[in-house]
Amino acid sequence: MDGQRLTMMGNQAITQGALEAGVRVAAGYPGTPSSEIIQNLAGAADEHGLYVEWSINEKVSLEVAAAASFAGLRSLCAMKQNGVNVASDFLLHLAGSGIRAGMVLVHCDDPGALSSVNEGESRHFARMLELPQLEPSDFQEAKDMTKWAFELSEEIGNVVMLRSVTRLSHASGGVVPGPIPQAQGKAHFDHHGTLLDKGHGPVSSSPVAYKHRLQQEKLARAVELFEDSPFNSYTGPEAPELLVITSSICNLYVKEALVLLDATDRVGVLKLGTTWPLPPKLLQRNLERCGQVLVVEEVIPFLEENVKIAAAEMAGEIGAKRFFGKRDGTIPAQGELNPDIVLGALAGILNLPYQTRPPQYDLLAQEAAPQATQDRDLAFCPGCPHRASFWSLKGALALDARDGFICGDIGCYSLAMRPTGYGMLKTLLAMGSGAGIASGFGQLGRFGMDQPVMAVSGDSTFYHAVIPALINAVHQKSPMSLVVLDNSGTAMTGFQPHPGTEANALGQPVPPVDIEAICRSLGAEVTVCDPFDLEATQAAALALLADQSTAKVLILRQLCALSPQRKGSKLYEVQVDPEKCLGDQCGCNRLCTRVFGCPGLAWEKQSGKARIDEVICAGCGVCASVCPQGAIIKSERA
Amino acid sequence: MATAKLIHDPYNLIITGVGGQGNVLASRMLGNVLTSQGLWVTIGETFGASQRGGSVMSHLRVSTDGSWSPQIPEGKAHMVLALEPLEALRVLVKYGNPGAKAIVNDRPILPVAAIAGKTNYPSADELEGMLAKLTAQRWSIPATERAMALGASIFANIIMIGALSATDDLPVSRQGFEAELLRALGPSKVATNLEAFDLGAAMVQG
Amino acid sequence: MINRGPRQLLAEVQQPGLCIGCGSCVELCPYFRSHGGKTVMLHDCDLPEGRCHAWCPKTELDLEGLAQELWGAPYSAQGMGPHLAVVAAKAGPRLEAGRYQAGGTVSALVCAALEQGLVQGAILTGGRGMDTAPALATTPEEVMACSGSKFTAAPTLAALNRAQAQGCGPVLVVATPCQATALAQRWAKPWPSRGAAGPAELVIGLFCNWSLDPQGLTGFLAQRVELESIRSMDIPPPPAGVLRVETTEGSLEIPFDEIRDLIPPACAMCPDMTSEWADLSVGMYEGRPGWNTLVVRNEKARALTEAAVEAGWLVVEEFPKANKEHLVHAAQGKRSRGLGAALAQSLLGVSGEDQPKALRVSPELYRAVESGEVA
Repeated sequence: MDGQRLTMMGNQAITQGALEAGVRVAAGYPGTPSSEIIQNLAGAADEHGLYVEWSINEKVSLEVAAAASFAGLRSLCAMKQNGVNVASDFLLHLAGSGIRAGMVLVHCDDPGALSSVNEGESRHFARMLELPQLEPSDFQEAKDMTKWAFELSEEIGNVVMLRSVTRLSHASGGVVPGPIPQAQGKAHFDHHGTLLDKGHGPVSSSPVAYKHRLQQEKLARAVELFEDSPFNSYTGPEAPELLVITSSICNLYVKEALVLLDATDRVGVLKLGTTWPLPPKLLQRNLERCGQVLVVEEVIPFLEENVKIAAAEMAGEIGAKRFFGKRDGTIPAQGELNPDIVLGALAGILNLPYQTRPPQYDLLAQEAAPQATQDRDLAFCPGCPHRASFWSLKGALALDARDGFICGDIGCYSLAMRPTGYGMLKTLLAMGSGAGIASGFGQLGRFGMDQPVMAVSGDSTFYHAVIPALINAVHQKSPMSLVVLDNSGTAMTGFQPHPGTEANALGQPVPPVDIEAICRSLGAEVTVCDPFDLEATQAAALALLADQSTAKVLILRQLCALSPQRKGSKLYEVQVDPEKCLGDQCGCNRLCTRVFGCPGLAWEKQSGKARIDEVICAGCGVCASVCPQGAIIKSERA
Repeated sequence: MATAKLIHDPYNLIITGVGGQGNVLASRMLGNVLTSQGLWVTIGETFGASQRGGSVMSHLRVSTDGSWSPQIPEGKAHMVLALEPLEALRVLVKYGNPGAKAIVNDRPILPVAAIAGKTNYPSADELEGMLAKLTAQRWSIPATERAMALGASIFANIIMIGALSATDDLPVSRQGFEAELLRALGPSKVATNLEAFDLGAAMVQG
Repeated sequence: MINRGPRQLLAEVQQPGLCIGCGSCVELCPYFRSHGGKTVMLHDCDLPEGRCHAWCPKTELDLEGLAQELWGAPYSAQGMGPHLAVVAAKAGPRLEAGRYQAGGTVSALVCAALEQGLVQGAILTGGRGMDTAPALATTPEEVMACSGSKFTAAPTLAALNRAQAQGCGPVLVVATPCQATALAQRWAKPWPSRGAAGPAELVIGLFCNWSLDPQGLTGFLAQRVELESIRSMDIPPPPAGVLRVETTEGSLEIPFDEIRDLIPPACAMCPDMTSEWADLSVGMYEGRPGWNTLVVRNEKARALTEAAVEAGWLVVEEFPKANKEHLVHAAQGKRSRGLGAALAQSLLGVSGEDQPKALRVSPELYRAVESGEVA
């Protein structure tokens, strides 16, 4: 593998870089688009002698990685943008205390929220917490910069943040891998020095003034190294008409846009790989090249604002510049970028015409568009227990008839917010917030609120963030009902293990921590049900809604359709009996396809009856309980 | 190693379908076959949430000249490999151009809204009509049908790769693919997958 | 006759608070259900027409059209509905004493009808205290288990729908006036293509002036007694003016004034005191405890009454003329109040016109209500 160019996913390149740097410990929490980093390191753990952990949440994962660094082992922590928020309090203190062996925090943002419910950015943490930050702009850099990040980390004695985005992490491109060193070194935490001894004393962000000054000196040292870094580069004419400053995968968009506009001899591109702090001398040299600057980045104008601050500081030497970017609307302030947006911005500034394709084709495309671009909304997979759970919760809330509602949380079941998920979630915010918000709603009876409130949480989310909220609800006597949707894995991100599973990231047997036992020990009323049993689940949910005396938990336990234990094997063969299906004569108004809406069901135009799509059907058998005529037959497989 | 030549550089291929159909697998395998020929391959993909029945695309840039944007610019697709016919159209509306070619699996997967009767999924004739207007050359192949006959719908991907190889637009040879199968899936899986590959190639040659 | 769909049913009946919870729309299909005294729609249905709307007694009730269709006569501004005779009645020797409330006439007639083979089952409203439980009874024991007056609306017709879906054969229903009206709607707007749900073979109607909202009454009583201790409820004859609640701890009397707010709005616009759409109607015999007033409305009813007497289930006596006049007067009072209230809420319309209305009468009757002549 060593030496030949391969096509590697960005996350795999990061993994490769970490391995080449001799990383020994890695921890994280699943979060798209970061999950493959820890997953791949776990896959390489045996061969290279690593410890890799899926921690209960990002804060703890950062702490686990920090411990390794304190003990002299290079460590890596990986998470999506939200994870940095969760870990940020610890990160703040860690940035103050500094680290020992190299430690890299890889954070993967999701511009455009392709797999998130926010496009909040994490680059500002580097600035706020005074840590150096790197942004690879392609796949080779993803590897090289990760490797270098460990060296930088050790050189300055602090965490290095390495920022990726979906379009890099989940894209693939050419990478030449390098050798992976033999694992060596014994873990030992040296703690006998004085308080002020950063290499041998206790690890603390205090005494604060002393440590803060040290922290800033470390950052200054990083800036020195950034001035000559090969990860910052300028391409283009000596004196361009326009200077583009860019980072991350946007660099490839800029490159492509300039080729399409045939403007590579007019526009210069300063590609920054070290994006905090910005190296002032490098910046000045390049800002001096011309009077107009376009900053291309996503999502917040992080670079743009910092470049402007630097430009103001050196205004005497370089003169005033005209800036284009997010702040003036040249680049949209929200959403992800693509080459076409960059093309549009460049064409506008340079006053260049650009036609995507001949107008006649555009017309044909427009004609086809209404049909072609029809909605294909995300939906629960065929056989997903969440579909059954929300079907029962929908019925229970309707029967209860007090305008009750569900506070949602993060996972596959977030899809219950959408029409395909029956529009059941009425709040959807951060990890664990469903239970927290429901606990709050539960206190409002004293102000006249008479709507019963429920929260849903997945099993992984339960461990991550819900437990404190549930304790709060029980202790504060909030009569909310928590429904834990336990499908035995962290499904949305790729079915990673969590504290409730019997194997860890390395595939080793570990003691599962039982959700039911936790809830009971907290003093909550607990019921357990199989969501595929619609009748029992609806009855259990109704009972929850009727009880306004205390916090209650209903655990709906059923394997995810994509879980390794279930995948590919159907519980039942499911068929529609065309004799029993009455079609539109039934009066049920196509309850199966119009309302229940599993993708495995179809309405046959010719016969005017329902049928099962055998390619898509996962054989869970739930629809058999939905049909009022009993026309959907499920038979156990031999 | 010798680098194969390309009729377009970068050559822009979009593999599209519905979440769960395995377009990621197809793009990876194709990417590896092309990389082993010395070409630069950049692949842009979305996964995670998209797998839950949404539209998915893999954008492949094949080039002799380094990495390109993992998102193909609008109107710049040379070839669309579609595991689902509506998705072929969706991609062509945005990325198509007068010279675009398309290989389309003929089996529809209805969006939930269409199953519920809220939207109207176009008929086979309507799909054919629109595809004809938006492509310079196209092939409609019963990939899912043949895949089911081979034992599983996931073989549809491999059938489509075989079909692509037979167009000769890209240097994807049977030997090259066989090597990738061996590397990716192991020796026991090679024979059936090659059978699928050959089925696809035959559909285009015939 | 005019029919619309479930969305219109929600807009015309549920949302304005006019649902009486009779259960006619419940369990015809997977969408309407009854729970805790409320009729709810589980999922949205966009069908333009449906049995739910057609058979609801609180919307598009064309009194004139129904009367012409079922009685062959106009809907009268006076009276208490067609009848062949009004008699005094009470349970006969075959009915076990102490097992029935008041005169026991209803139970007697049901047992007779079952024994006769006139029907194969009876849809009754069983339950105790606050928990009404509509049920299908097929034996005298099961009939007796359901005896006892209820004063909250119960979705009895849901049990009919369920029984018919299971292929129960001809059944009778013991119905309140609104339920009897819903059953009359089924005769006038049949829907055979949609399954087995439809009219009942025989309807024994009850007298009713108003009912109480179940959730409202539950909340009200919960503040005064332990709900589990309630054994039965009764409204003694005038001039008592109270609801008497029998509990294991004793008796509680609640003046009407205190529970007036618990009367569903739908009762205000009801013109029917004596279940005029039923085949027989049974009510209290004021001044004669242990007896009922029995209204025999048609031949089928007369035949059953005679058979019941002959078989020893029922005892009948002449009903005094003065009492009958008093009954007619009372019924007339509710009719005029109901139609007047419907007019005042813009819910009254004319048979054959387009605009959606809850009640329709002939043009002549409409004018009479408008001018206050119906009194």
